[in-house]
Amino acid sequence: MNDSYKDIWELRQPGRRDSERHKVRIRKAIKENLRELIAEENIISSDGKRKVKVPVRYLDMWRFKFGPNSKSKDVGHGEGDPGDIIAKEGKGKGNKAGDQPGEELYDEEVELAEIVDMMLEDLGLPWLKRKENQVEIETEEMVFHDIAEKGLPPNVDLKRTLIENLKRNSIAGKPSFGKIVPDDLRYRVWENVVEKHSNASVILIMDRSGSMTDDKKYIVKSFFFWMVSFLRMKYGNVEVVFIAHDTEAREVGEENFFAISDGGGTRISSGLELAKTIIETRFPTNIWNNYVFSFSDGENWDTDNERCIAMFRELLGMCQAVGYGEVSYTDQFYSWSSWRGHWSTLHDAIKEADDLVGEPRFLQAAIVKREDLYDCLRQFLDVDGKEKP
Amino acid sequence: MRDSRIVDLEQLARKNGLDFFPVVFEVVSENTMNNVCAYGLPTRARHWSYGRSYDHQRIYGEMGFSKVFEMITNNDPSYAFVLDSNTEAQNLLIVAHCFGHSDFFKNNITFQGSDRNMARHAAEHANRIDEYIEQYGLDAVERLMDIGFSLDSHIDVHKGLYRKKYPRRHIEERRVKANEFDDLDPAKARRPSMIREVVNATMPPHPERDLLWFFIQYAPLEDWERDILDIVREESFYFYPQRLTKIMNEGWAVYWHAELLHQYKNITPEEMIDFARTHERVVQPGNPFDINPYYLGYRIYKDIEKRWDRMYAEGESSITGRQKIFEVRRDEDDVSFLRNYLTADLVQELKLFTFGRENEEPDQDEDEEVLYEIKSRMREEVVEALVKPRYNNWAPKIVITDASSEKICLRHESEELGTLNFRYAEHMLEYVWELWAAPVELRTKDDNGREVVLLFDEAGFSQRTLEEEFDLDDDGDEEKDEGPFKKTP
Repeated sequence: MNDSYKDIWELRQPGRRDSERHKVRIRKAIKENLRELIAEENIISSDGKRKVKVPVRYLDMWRFKFGPNSKSKDVGHGEGDPGDIIAKEGKGKGNKAGDQPGEELYDEEVELAEIVDMMLEDLGLPWLKRKENQVEIETEEMVFHDIAEKGLPPNVDLKRTLIENLKRNSIAGKPSFGKIVPDDLRYRVWENVVEKHSNASVILIMDRSGSMTDDKKYIVKSFFFWMVSFLRMKYGNVEVVFIAHDTEAREVGEENFFAISDGGGTRISSGLELAKTIIETRFPTNIWNNYVFSFSDGENWDTDNERCIAMFRELLGMCQAVGYGEVSYTDQFYSWSSWRGHWSTLHDAIKEADDLVGEPRFLQAAIVKREDLYDCLRQFLDVDGKEKP
Repeated sequence: MRDSRIVDLEQLARKNGLDFFPVVFEVVSENTMNNVCAYGLPTRARHWSYGRSYDHQRIYGEMGFSKVFEMITNNDPSYAFVLDSNTEAQNLLIVAHCFGHSDFFKNNITFQGSDRNMARHAAEHANRIDEYIEQYGLDAVERLMDIGFSLDSHIDVHKGLYRKKYPRRHIEERRVKANEFDDLDPAKARRPSMIREVVNATMPPHPERDLLWFFIQYAPLEDWERDILDIVREESFYFYPQRLTKIMNEGWAVYWHAELLHQYKNITPEEMIDFARTHERVVQPGNPFDINPYYLGYRIYKDIEKRWDRMYAEGESSITGRQKIFEVRRDEDDVSFLRNYLTADLVQELKLFTFGRENEEPDQDEDEEVLYEIKSRMREEVVEALVKPRYNNWAPKIVITDASSEKICLRHESEELGTLNFRYAEHMLEYVWELWAAPVELRTKDDNGREVVLLFDEAGFSQRTLEEEFDLDDDGDEEKDEGPFKKTP
């Protein structure tokens, strides 16, 4: 056997190069498909993990192939009689199971932060004002800003080093690049730049009443998931408060917020009222920039609508922005035209309140289909797209 | 491993009638092995998809399963890559195994047109691709390779790698052969003795199934673009026989490593145990929802040998079992191998069954749990289910029926094997649209058996069913106009 070329084989590592390229392509595919990806179940459900799994169907090798065919047969082996159930989707069939029958699915691991980054690149909390700061929100960035003669090997500045080398050789009478000696080496030096921002609290309110179907709740959860991921990434010290309500509101922990469902009727104002109390007691407006985002399907008790409008007005007095999002999403079917006729009564009430409609700091969004989520996020967080009040 | 033992095994293999290319054994690290396996050929041109295979190979390796012991290329000489961490006994097995593969490459009928110098040609391809990347940029080259790979199942192995272009549209004059008594009949006597015939008025003259070839020849492409597709096509022709004989080829190699090591005397008892253990791992039936080709192929060869030996003993066959399997390895591919030699007895012995969805209705609620049940243990059903996906190079049969500068029409011909995945077809039509630079139409059937036309043009993808098209003509209702057309921008 020939192992004299073993080292030479070792030199050829095209796999690594193409693996890097593959990663680039994944990023590209993710960016192009953010709109759909944003509502991907396995991303949203990966709470707290740094890396998330992205289904690779966004970066598929397309082919002509047979479709999801409910009649297709495979061959297996073992005991059992015709008619015996031998597997359930996702359990026994291993890789063959996917959410789309007949499609080979596997996942690629991607840093969550990277997706959030791509998604919300140019966004920030709207109208963040400088308050009398007690606690400052800091963002840190590492900046290479200087060159030194001593440093760590990974930070060698090649260009400067070569210039030094050229200089030294020229002085010695040989104007060319030559042997690099330690004196030639130049290193980049970095510094942590701390940017100071104002304080911000974000209060997320979700309707968890009986009329919120799983589909709707899922959309809201997705929205909050991205919102929270975004805030945590962008600002080290943002305070996030979670409020869940049906007819009564209560403050809950993040885990609880995404996991538990309630039941019963809906009184949106209960959530808004609790938000107000929390702001009054914990986030005085002279120190904090406050944001309140409330989500519901709008199936509110009619008698409560007036109270809601009043609360929105009150909150606007204490907050930089107040958002109300309405989810009329269903998985069964939707059509834009049929949906437009079914704005909720709360929405109608808002429409009649001229001061709210004309107020740029009052944000409204409607989510009809999963893909709307992306626009909704951008709408709520887009600083530049809005007129500054 | 000592070279003298390789020589021993080689002599033993030749004595048993194996006829193989010289085999060069390269001992490599696991990392190199992952590289080699991801590319299929160690010298192949770069593409991001190999990076994906490489990552998966690497991750699986790190997780401790599915380690690749060996990999061999169909080439003269054959290059065999052997993992440096293999034990001595594993290496004995691999060496014998590789002689089996090389013999199969050299003698099986499907390999007869195959490029035996591919290791070098692939390296030349890689150089050319690198030059194109330098000149036209990675994105442009990659895009074309993506398109090429997506079409690489669609070649026509019967017409071969090298084909002449179709003659252009032209008029042929042909002499009409007169019957010797024709001049007696005034009507026949006046008939002109020459007729004119338009040849190749439509393009292609016959439904064309080598899609890559057709685009290389006729699509409005730059030379370098043609060359990239050409490279993809050449490599596809090279890999085609391996895709078509996976079960036979692996079965043959397993048969021979078992046989040669059984005959080999210069082996210690410890090595023999180690060998037996490794062999056992190779031929275990594996995942109950899948078929291990090593195992299935091996068992079929053993069965053939046994049956023909019996027939030979009883005077019913003029050749022995051993002679018979040599014949089989020469003449069959996986489809005919399974059809001819996977017997009802063997299906029963190996406990094979077909399985599928319990609920076969085409429109099912996606959220419903899907149950799979055993469908049948009948030999015909099992063979059919094994063979079906292997037709047409593991792909639906798509042909070009009509191509002009205004439009190109494709048709899906293997409809009896199943309906197309429309989501994938949409992307494929976009690729073809990009190559042909004109609207693309694909005719096929949907799950309910209706004729459907998928279309891709400047406006994007759309589809319509043909019956509805006729409805539209009948009453010309404006409102209905948009009905059957589902545009997705």
